[in-house]
Amino acid sequence: MTITPLPFSKILIANRGEIAIRIMRACRELNIPSVAVYSEADANAQHVQCADEAVLIGPPAPKESYLNVDHLLDAARHSGADAIHPGYGFLSENASFASAVESAHLTFIGPSADSIRAMGDKAESKIRMKQAAVPTVPGFENLESEQEFKRAAGEIGYPVLVKAAAGGGGKGMRVVHAESELSEAIALARREALNSFGDERLLIEKYLVEAHHVEIQVFGDKHGNLVHLFERECSVQRRHQKIIEESPSPLLTPQVRARMGEAAVNAAKAVGYFNAGTVEFIFDPRADSFYFLEMNTRLQVEHPVTELVSGLDLVQWQIRVAAGERFPFEQSGLHQRGHAIECRVYAEDPASGFLPSTGKLLQFIEPRGPGIRVDSGFRAGDIVTHFYDPLLAKLIVYGETRASAIQRMKIALRDFIVHGVTTNLDYMQSVLAHEDFAAGRVSTNWVEDHVREWTPAVPTEEALIAAALADVAFAASKSQSSISTETDPFNPWKQSNNFRN
Amino acid sequence: MKVTFGTHTLEITPTGDSYVAALNDKTINVQIVRADSGRLDLLVDGKRVTAYVSSDLAKRWVTLDGQTMLLTKTSGAKPGVRHDYAGGLTAPMPGQVRSVSVSEGEVVKKGQTLLTMEAMKMEIRIQALKDGRVKTVHVKPGQSVEREQILMEMEDE
Repeated sequence: MTITPLPFSKILIANRGEIAIRIMRACRELNIPSVAVYSEADANAQHVQCADEAVLIGPPAPKESYLNVDHLLDAARHSGADAIHPGYGFLSENASFASAVESAHLTFIGPSADSIRAMGDKAESKIRMKQAAVPTVPGFENLESEQEFKRAAGEIGYPVLVKAAAGGGGKGMRVVHAESELSEAIALARREALNSFGDERLLIEKYLVEAHHVEIQVFGDKHGNLVHLFERECSVQRRHQKIIEESPSPLLTPQVRARMGEAAVNAAKAVGYFNAGTVEFIFDPRADSFYFLEMNTRLQVEHPVTELVSGLDLVQWQIRVAAGERFPFEQSGLHQRGHAIECRVYAEDPASGFLPSTGKLLQFIEPRGPGIRVDSGFRAGDIVTHFYDPLLAKLIVYGETRASAIQRMKIALRDFIVHGVTTNLDYMQSVLAHEDFAAGRVSTNWVEDHVREWTPAVPTEEALIAAALADVAFAASKSQSSISTETDPFNPWKQSNNFRN
Repeated sequence: MKVTFGTHTLEITPTGDSYVAALNDKTINVQIVRADSGRLDLLVDGKRVTAYVSSDLAKRWVTLDGQTMLLTKTSGAKPGVRHDYAGGLTAPMPGQVRSVSVSEGEVVKKGQTLLTMEAMKMEIRIQALKDGRVKTVHVKPGQSVEREQILMEMEDE
């Protein structure tokens, strides 16, 4: 394949952190200069350093910077960018942003605003999926009275899920186990839905116990070619957010994989989809059945897993198809090879309900080795603030088999050193080592049920000795002074080159 | 010298080019093979150990065998020097008080800078060991102080 010059002279990346850096890398490989945008809190962030140029777009609060459409469009105009990549989160699934970008005669690197809008509304997208013969969770939309909800729940059978029609991210969602709980759940979900989305419409669905979250990556160009790039198993979640993803899923048979892939392609075609997208399914391994959950009309956090098993650079292809290129691969020519696992390294404390942890990174040493990829947004000395998502890095490994990938990940997690903020690195080691993970028995509620059994490491004798000796050892070499935060006023070693007892 | 982390106290004695650590009624021989960039290569009773250690005030982040532990030093270890003595904060070295950032009765947070000292051309920040209230301030900016001199007294809020 020859690389033809793309029509973009400059791409603005409307995002921050690891994903901005990932996209900038793709731009550089395609010989396109990139423009970073940053808030006042991110003036010294890694993504600003990585870009060819950078534009300040406002104060730290996302609403005033990374979510500010006018500031982003101004930044594009001033820097002479002719395309905008939204990354994930922030404005990536905002149909009005996609329209505003196109109205400003810039290219939005993603699907059309219409596709985003069609998939953004849960109730509307579910109706469309039913029309396209994509399996959906048994349930009802457009219910008004409590009586209607009662009748619907009875027909579906408890437990049921009451959730916001306009929702996402677990907000406005309630599991109801019996009719006696129904009216309270409706009231609570309505209130949450109204507060979070300004829309109190609810829908009711069958709640699947021990469900797995399996999603299909789809990819299409603007010429009507649309394929899927296989599945990702994403059932290791906390608070409805994924922490570990892998491909292939250990649970799908080739037949189910083919059916799910076909359903995903049909779902995407039903909304005229192009560029990268992900169709999420709830998978019931006991019945080998799956149901459409929602479509994410953007690049996913966990896209590297698919890149490793498919051999494709999804971000480069996003840029190429946005420029109008044809996606040259047909479904029959695409294969899943080997096994990839991703662990999301978060600055958060698993021992206290995964609360975010902030601070200055005193050490940040990424693991290296065959089959190890790290997409990170930080380095030692950077400050993790409370303004943004606490994702520090994504650690992705590739192995010939699932067992070898698990083994490689366990070691890579051990070799990832982060000091200054509490991370989930130790916790993820325990998940990878758990027999349920090895057996593919981790459903979406697993973390919630098991994290209580987990406790952080207690100081070992060797750790105490190392901590005690570090002061004298580093005082002699002076090598750590640049990354220590403050002078330790209680340091007994500071005064003397030699100590007495 | 003695170091205390939480409930664990170690006594470390240099012997030639290595150290003897006494901990939990055990003595362990430790040699520092190499120390740089926050990484310590040690020989602990003949076994090779790599530890990553970072310092943040009285806290020590330690990673060993992929396990990260956060230890907190509970007192200074030099004989006769206790910077947290009887709720008071004492000067870690002779010097001059540069600024006092708090006043008596003020409620302070753990880690907050209470005063700064200048000694040996270095600025030293005296910070609160825990949340509490400033009971008495014994010094003024510009005042010279001796080592172990009580600078301030703290009380629980």
